[in-house]
Amino acid sequence: MVGMSVLRSAAAIAAKINPFKPGITKSGLLTRTVRERDKVAVRFGSHGKQMFVIKPTDYYDRRFLHLLKYYILLTGIPVAAIVAYVNIFIGEAELAEIPEGYVPEHWEYYKHPITRWIARTFYDPPEKDYEKMMALIQIEAEKADMRLTQLEVRKHMRHRGDGPWFHYETVDKTLIDNSIKSTPDN
Amino acid sequence: MPDDYDKDVYPEPPRRTPVVDKQTNLPNPALILTQLFHYAVDVPVTTFRDFMDRMHDRNKLYYYHQKFRRVPELTECQMGDFLCYYEAEMQWRRDHKVDQEIVKVVQERLRACQQREGNSYEQNCAKELQQFAQVAKAYQSRYGDLGAYGSARKCLMKQKHRMLEEQNAA
Repeated sequence: MVGMSVLRSAAAIAAKINPFKPGITKSGLLTRTVRERDKVAVRFGSHGKQMFVIKPTDYYDRRFLHLLKYYILLTGIPVAAIVAYVNIFIGEAELAEIPEGYVPEHWEYYKHPITRWIARTFYDPPEKDYEKMMALIQIEAEKADMRLTQLEVRKHMRHRGDGPWFHYETVDKTLIDNSIKSTPDN
Repeated sequence: MPDDYDKDVYPEPPRRTPVVDKQTNLPNPALILTQLFHYAVDVPVTTFRDFMDRMHDRNKLYYYHQKFRRVPELTECQMGDFLCYYEAEMQWRRDHKVDQEIVKVVQERLRACQQREGNSYEQNCAKELQQFAQVAKAYQSRYGDLGAYGSARKCLMKQKHRMLEEQNAA
């Protein structure tokens, strides 16, 4: 009885003195005595005595799993429904020979209807991509050629001095005072 | 239903279903199970698939295999003609993919043959074995160790080295 509080010890002493007197005891839990031990809640045909199971909380775990299922199914179910509808009611394309004189569109080279739709709606035809890449290559090739020719031209103009580049503005020839060098004895 | 495979390339072994010679009056459990499977699984699935085929026949979609024109190869390109290089590179990549698929098809045939013949595949599948060896050797010699960044140029250089070695050996 060392760890018990004063009140609890007083109630325990009172219970020990008069165990069956109703006025003195506070309650069954406080005094740690069970009154009328012979009466136990027994119900035949059920799970036995009802137990108050003490376990750690599963609120957060259940909440997480609930939210996970909710957010996955929020878009999962529409996507699954759409894909099922497309596969059952529209169906995949069949392989066929290209008819004479017919040029198929770029989406007609794919099998699944959703792939065809994506190729039709969002993607450029592969011929256009090819041409775009070729245009980029052409631009870069022209740039490289231009740079090489520019170096060549620079070399020539610097060497010969007769081109529009490497012009350095000098003072007018008529302003030079030649009197310093005009006689040999200066 | 998906279309059937080529029956000549993948021949079926002859059927060995035994003649039914029932000598007892007891029910045959294998027969009961096959009937059960048939009615519980086969019939519903077949009706559903037929329903799907009827839905598909309403508006049929077709897809084609794209045919590419041949463009001048890397050997026929002028020096510094980068557009020609690009077209040759794309053509080489398409041919590389086609060759990979060829190797896969030949491999698949060999595998099917081995599965059919069982333990006596070495003598019964000699044709497929020889064909696969030939195709694999050809693929290795042309595209073999080019690596992940293999290009038409590297393949051409590999061919050049191969020809030089043949010349040196001869």
